Amino acid sequence: MDLNFTPEEQAFRAHIRQWVAEHLPKDISHKVHNALRLNKDDLQRWARLLGKQGWHGWAWPKQFGGPGWNAVQRHLFEEECALAGAPRVVPFGPVMVAPVIMAFGSREQQERHLPGIMSGDVWWSQGYSEPGSGSDLASVKTRAERRGDKYIVNGQKTWTTLGQYGDWIFCLVRTDASVKPQAGISFLLIDMKSPGVTVRPIIMLDGEHEVNEVFFDNVEVPAENLVGEENKGWTYAKYLLAHERTNIADVNRAKRELERLKRIAKAEGVYEDPRFRDQIALLEVDIVALEMMVLRVLSAESSGKQSLDVAGLLKIRGSEIQQRYTELMMLAAGPYATPFIHEAMEAGWQGDHVGAAHCAPLASHYFNYRKTTIYGGSNEVQRNIVAQTVLG
Amino acid sequence: MDFDFTDDQISLRDAVRRYVDKDYGFEQRRAIVKAGGFSRAVWDGLAGLGLTALAVPEAHGGLGFGPVEAMVVMEELGRGLVMEPYAQGALVAPAVLAQSDAGAQAQWLPRIAGGEALVVLAHQERRARYRLDVCDTLATADHRLSGLKSVVPAGDQADAFIVPARAGGTGAGIALYLVAKDAPGVALRGYPLHDGSRAAELTLKDTPATLLAGPDRGLAVLEHAVDIAIAAQAAEAVGAMDRFVALTAEYMNTRKQFGVAIASFQALRHRMADIKMQLELARSMSYFATLKLAEPADARRRAVSQAKVQLGQAMRFVGQQCTQLHGGIGVTDEYIGSHYFKRLTVMEMQYGDSLHHLGEVSRRMQDTAGVFA
Repeated sequence: MDLNFTPEEQAFRAHIRQWVAEHLPKDISHKVHNALRLNKDDLQRWARLLGKQGWHGWAWPKQFGGPGWNAVQRHLFEEECALAGAPRVVPFGPVMVAPVIMAFGSREQQERHLPGIMSGDVWWSQGYSEPGSGSDLASVKTRAERRGDKYIVNGQKTWTTLGQYGDWIFCLVRTDASVKPQAGISFLLIDMKSPGVTVRPIIMLDGEHEVNEVFFDNVEVPAENLVGEENKGWTYAKYLLAHERTNIADVNRAKRELERLKRIAKAEGVYEDPRFRDQIALLEVDIVALEMMVLRVLSAESSGKQSLDVAGLLKIRGSEIQQRYTELMMLAAGPYATPFIHEAMEAGWQGDHVGAAHCAPLASHYFNYRKTTIYGGSNEVQRNIVAQTVLG
Repeated sequence: MDFDFTDDQISLRDAVRRYVDKDYGFEQRRAIVKAGGFSRAVWDGLAGLGLTALAVPEAHGGLGFGPVEAMVVMEELGRGLVMEPYAQGALVAPAVLAQSDAGAQAQWLPRIAGGEALVVLAHQERRARYRLDVCDTLATADHRLSGLKSVVPAGDQADAFIVPARAGGTGAGIALYLVAKDAPGVALRGYPLHDGSRAAELTLKDTPATLLAGPDRGLAVLEHAVDIAIAAQAAEAVGAMDRFVALTAEYMNTRKQFGVAIASFQALRHRMADIKMQLELARSMSYFATLKLAEPADARRRAVSQAKVQLGQAMRFVGQQCTQLHGGIGVTDEYIGSHYFKRLTVMEMQYGDSLHHLGEVSRRMQDTAGVFA
């Protein structure tokens, strides 16, 4: 048992740190460190910088053009990026669909799609949730009917994060309605420029356009865009979820945000108030405990000596902590968190702030982060999964 | 970064587990509680396994093992609700003695290693609550001690005590002394604790003692000793919680109401998920405390307080909720579950509860935080 990283791992970390320091554009890290609005160009510039280095798919094996890092190296990479103020990599391409294409896609699909994902040139969206299918994902109703060498797709997806920028979307579609729900689902790759695809914004409670509805009206999809076998999509979807591993806890970002919380609390004069300060201390304990849990999982993954069935715990705890730091930042600003000045979240805004500039985005973030305990399998669904591991 | 146990550590764990399963069953434990809460035969048994020698340096007849082995042993003792103060006698006392002069080491360490001598820390005072720097026991220049120490583990069974006292009177620095049980002026009043273990009030009246650590470093040695105790107790608590959770899961799958096993009810399943969360967070922080023991004092103290905040919360939540999930049987004396609950409850109030250590974390807070901060 050893808490320390090996000299090789520390050298790896130093290498990543230096690269990020040299390549992460300052205007982007400024926005991240101050929770200002990131636009498509910010996200894609960073994705392409990573792509050029072969790191946009940082968890990919070498045979598909990835760096072939182990679990600890991947963690160190994620931590260095987060602490330096890099935007979170939009996961739908490199983290979600790519592993499915690698594991179950045809050689043609791999050759066609993986390079564009790695380079950051092709933007992917996720077509899972539907108006009637949230936590109960197996109930998806979007239909794909086989006609000759095409599928005809009809239906609606929702909560499609950043789908307004999407070039492609991977979808769970129903190809057989006569069997039990899980057995009639297929995994389909759809070009979002196809006729019949409509994207409509959903404005969230913070006033931001982050998610969308995506409608499919007699969309023709070449049959070659089916991943793996027809009606096996549920298996692939589960594989994808299992692939999310430890970064679901997002503990690295939590560490960075805890520092920001302390800066804000100091500036707002509550850092020395014992009642407030103790709440920060409690969050700090929670973050250390979460980090230890993540490291235990990484160690178990690396050595293969023990299995740790705690993915559900990581999701629950990580999302609760994300909500807690946004909550405490907002409370630290108090009345100065309440003004809703949409433009104040833009970098370089020259208008008059109410209170300190750092107060402007705090309530928006608090509202925005209520999503974290809802998406990716709500925390209540995660509790079902955790209970299953204890009670059978 | 590696959280696997070595083969030797796994063998050690198995050996302790076998001993506890065989010699510390619920009925055997009940008999020890009835007899006062401490069994010299059990202490001899632990010595027979070599466990009292675990942390004693090899030069003094010990095994010279480190904190991870201590953690492995404590987890098993916790699982079996062993009441004898192993952490105190076999981990804390050798650590303090190892920082004293050669004479005291040669006199006590071999006897601790062999299990002949039980030496415990007697630091609790009425006015101090959880603060280690509050001490009203006084020592004269020729090392004669007067004062009252409370809730001393297995106090009336121990052979000697490590006693903090102000060297040279009120306002002077805190030094650590060793007091033999049979020294003049020692009075002991033994009593049971709620968890069945034993403790005592220790009164000293002009009692001759041996100096272990002078006033220039007595408090620092005491803080280190208490940090070792907290890390050990964290592992003990993890063992106890792990077993209590397993018992609860077993019960929920057996107990039927409304025609089905109560493990099928979602309200109860979600409670169990929350319990599992606390258990795994506690286990993570138990590792953290143990692996941070060798750090410089500032980092070590902060880490141990962070761990105790988490452990305190977990012990209370797991104890209360596992009791609740058992229904009526959970609050009876005949069922083993209530004994886990009582042990977990008592442990939170030893070496500082969650609120005390939250205060410490708050006071020691840095601009950055995290395992590697």
